[in-house]
Amino acid sequence: MSTPAPPHYTSVPPWTREPVVESPDATGTAFTVLAVGTGSDATGAAAIVDAWLPTLPVGAPVQVHTSEDVAGAIAAMRTDLAGARVGHRVLVAGSATDCLAVRAAALGSSLMDSELTVGVTSVATRAVWCVHCSATTIAEAGLEDVVTCPSCRKDLVVYPHVSRRTGAHLGFQVDAETLPAGVTA
Amino acid sequence: MTTTSLPRTGLTTDGLDLTTADPERRAALVAGFPFPFPNPTYRYSTNVEPAGSAVVTPAGQWGDCVVDVDVEYTAELAERAEILERDPSRHAVLPHMRVACWDAMLCLMRELAAANPATMELTLLETGSRPRYRWRNDVLGIDTAFTYGLESTLPAEPLAWIGQQVQEDVVLLDQREGELFGDAGVVTFAADWSFGFDVGMSFLEIHGPVPRLHAEGVITRAQAFLTRLQPGEVYRRTNWTLTIGRRLDVSTELYDQWGPDRESIQLLDDTAFGALVHLRTEVQHLIRLPESGAVMFLIRSYMLPLEEVARVEHWRTRAADVLEELPQDMADYKGIAKYRDRAVAWLRAAG
Amino acid sequence: MSAERIALVVTGLTALTPSIREVVLAPIDGGSLPSYAPGSHLVLDVPVGDGRERALANAYSLTGETVEPTEYRISVLRCDPADGAAGGSAWVHTLAVGDKVEALPPRNLFAPVRHATKHLLVGAGIGITPLLSHLRSHVRWDADVELLHVCREGEGAHVDEVVALTGGAATVVHDRATFAALLAERVRDQPLGTHLYTCGPTGFMDLVHLEAAAAGWPAERVHAEAFGAADLDPGAPFTVGVAGEEIEVPSGVSLLEALEEAGHEVPNLCRQGVCGECRVPVASGSTPVLHRDLYLTDEDKAANDCLMACVSRALPTDDRPAHLEVTL
Repeated sequence: MSTPAPPHYTSVPPWTREPVVESPDATGTAFTVLAVGTGSDATGAAAIVDAWLPTLPVGAPVQVHTSEDVAGAIAAMRTDLAGARVGHRVLVAGSATDCLAVRAAALGSSLMDSELTVGVTSVATRAVWCVHCSATTIAEAGLEDVVTCPSCRKDLVVYPHVSRRTGAHLGFQVDAETLPAGVTA
Repeated sequence: MTTTSLPRTGLTTDGLDLTTADPERRAALVAGFPFPFPNPTYRYSTNVEPAGSAVVTPAGQWGDCVVDVDVEYTAELAERAEILERDPSRHAVLPHMRVACWDAMLCLMRELAAANPATMELTLLETGSRPRYRWRNDVLGIDTAFTYGLESTLPAEPLAWIGQQVQEDVVLLDQREGELFGDAGVVTFAADWSFGFDVGMSFLEIHGPVPRLHAEGVITRAQAFLTRLQPGEVYRRTNWTLTIGRRLDVSTELYDQWGPDRESIQLLDDTAFGALVHLRTEVQHLIRLPESGAVMFLIRSYMLPLEEVARVEHWRTRAADVLEELPQDMADYKGIAKYRDRAVAWLRAAG
Repeated sequence: MSAERIALVVTGLTALTPSIREVVLAPIDGGSLPSYAPGSHLVLDVPVGDGRERALANAYSLTGETVEPTEYRISVLRCDPADGAAGGSAWVHTLAVGDKVEALPPRNLFAPVRHATKHLLVGAGIGITPLLSHLRSHVRWDADVELLHVCREGEGAHVDEVVALTGGAATVVHDRATFAALLAERVRDQPLGTHLYTCGPTGFMDLVHLEAAAAGWPAERVHAEAFGAADLDPGAPFTVGVAGEEIEVPSGVSLLEALEEAGHEVPNLCRQGVCGECRVPVASGSTPVLHRDLYLTDEDKAANDCLMACVSRALPTDDRPAHLEVTL
């Protein structure tokens, strides 16, 4: 493992910095298992799910959904959760970005943190929400890197501040504190 | 009197600095200013104390009321309305916060009435499972009856409506799983944070970006304190920063607009510097709401330009001492690193 | 501990069952009473006398209207001092209309989680009381609710009221076996997002916890009323030496209060062991400190060289009574 998280990364799940695979909570009594992604993420997610399934309690109902895109995974999860009883758990394997999106949707469907297990295949991309124009973009970027907002064209810092409601990182203009063109000291 | 203006944002000392404003208004702002430095050095701490007692300053006093209606009341409410019109994300209520919003509205009405008995009054018309009330706010020409829990009896969502009647920003924290979550609020005067982004995050997550807080355990202690707060208990603390211009809305949303001032301010002459750089104090109140069990966090922002700070000798020297000693990482986080040395020199020279 | 007490007068008394008495309390000065969160309790001062060697502070759930209450209602099961009870409930059963009592303002450790999509209330006997105010609130806010209750036949205080409030979503049974089967079935059929709240005898609440856990409920979804657990106990008396003077710190009085009474000024803010202001250095000659604050780190506490005067106390050793030497 790499360096420990700085103490102020309070909203950044460790599994968005390293591809962590959590152990499923065997106290659950029913399970929705999601494998999300394409290419190497799909292969990785399938392997994680294969490793998870034998650890789930014998006889517990398990629904496995494989989706190329996170919208499909979220839709499948919502269908499962609509009639679910307390005791249900959600397991999601995929990129950190997709896991954050699934977490956001799961929390919005009354799941608690302790009822969700993630298995991360890659941490290369991040969802960044532009605080200036409200557009969200998914980019290959690390924390505190700079990405360009495709909507307002501002260069944004990928701030180590992650919303549990949306799964996105806060992005704000990296070079706002510069003198306007034509003004010199 | 210089008329130097800040490039790009066009901030000018004309009309912004208090020396050109109504002298009565200026005097009132100085007299009520909550000077935020009780000690010659500043560090983050869980500096909470029971609320409601007046703090006497060399220029006047502050703190005898939880909700403070001052000379800026109508102006600041108009500014809030404009901001909300332009950016509705400054008001958010997650669905489970409906009870907390009613709670907050009633609590704020009681505090407003307690502080302004001549012009504001909350009357209980009927008790029972759905109490009825009459709310009168003469300053805004409001006189209406409503039924607790029935949105149809109010002109707006309860938090939005009371947000139109207090100068304070309001954040409502839901308590669950041993934590607090910022799940509702009306925040138009944020100092370098984005309510629209933070809504739904936990108390610990919201305070993540602040350096030192976590290493020193300040925020975990604050959360432990807040989760044990009982109804009827009201606490307060202060926070501070420097803001360029009398600009209440220095939210991250507008960083691209006010960020350049931190460079431009360095180009201005001393008179303009003293008129534009404001000491900004946040008086924060923490109140456990009864019915919902939510914690209401009130943030009231007061600003005074250095030229007014310097007229009070103790404030001038104390502010210079604190700014001079402030560790670099804290100055960086507060966004004042680029001009704090100048602010110190300015305050020292103003003696 | 330093909260201001409310002066109340008994305005109504009703025998709900042979052993449960409802007491209605109104403010002595006729003023208003604070609203409170569902699940709150009132801590009544029980005076010395009648075999009670020291004053007691007994917690009773508030059962009435939570918003703008004109009175506070409690329902008290008489526990016999002959069976080892401390005598507080027996005292409540001696109260007469017009008697004056004092209480701490309502406190809460058992509030509904408003984030829940449904509330499952599970009570036994007198444990129905805190669930009553939950129900009143859920009715007001139109929240989904279900109640399971077990009580002896003919001894069910508030049962009719509760059944009416749930609009039929209540099941009341009268024997443990039937209840155990009902509980096992109902905890396995609650919509995701439900929170469970239980109050009753300790053994009963243990059963509820076990059944919920067996059905896969995370601990965070299960809430039990434990009266006064977050209120620090009054603590044992000890002595403190400061500048050559010895001060008694009685039970129920904090070190901070004792020092202040003796004329010493100690900086303080929260008086709850959080802010760190009232840290007092402990000198040699002290017995170990009973740390009860949230401020000091584990290392600080292990060092035994300081304490937070507002909440922490002294512990005795085998050969020495509890005593602290402090420097101010």
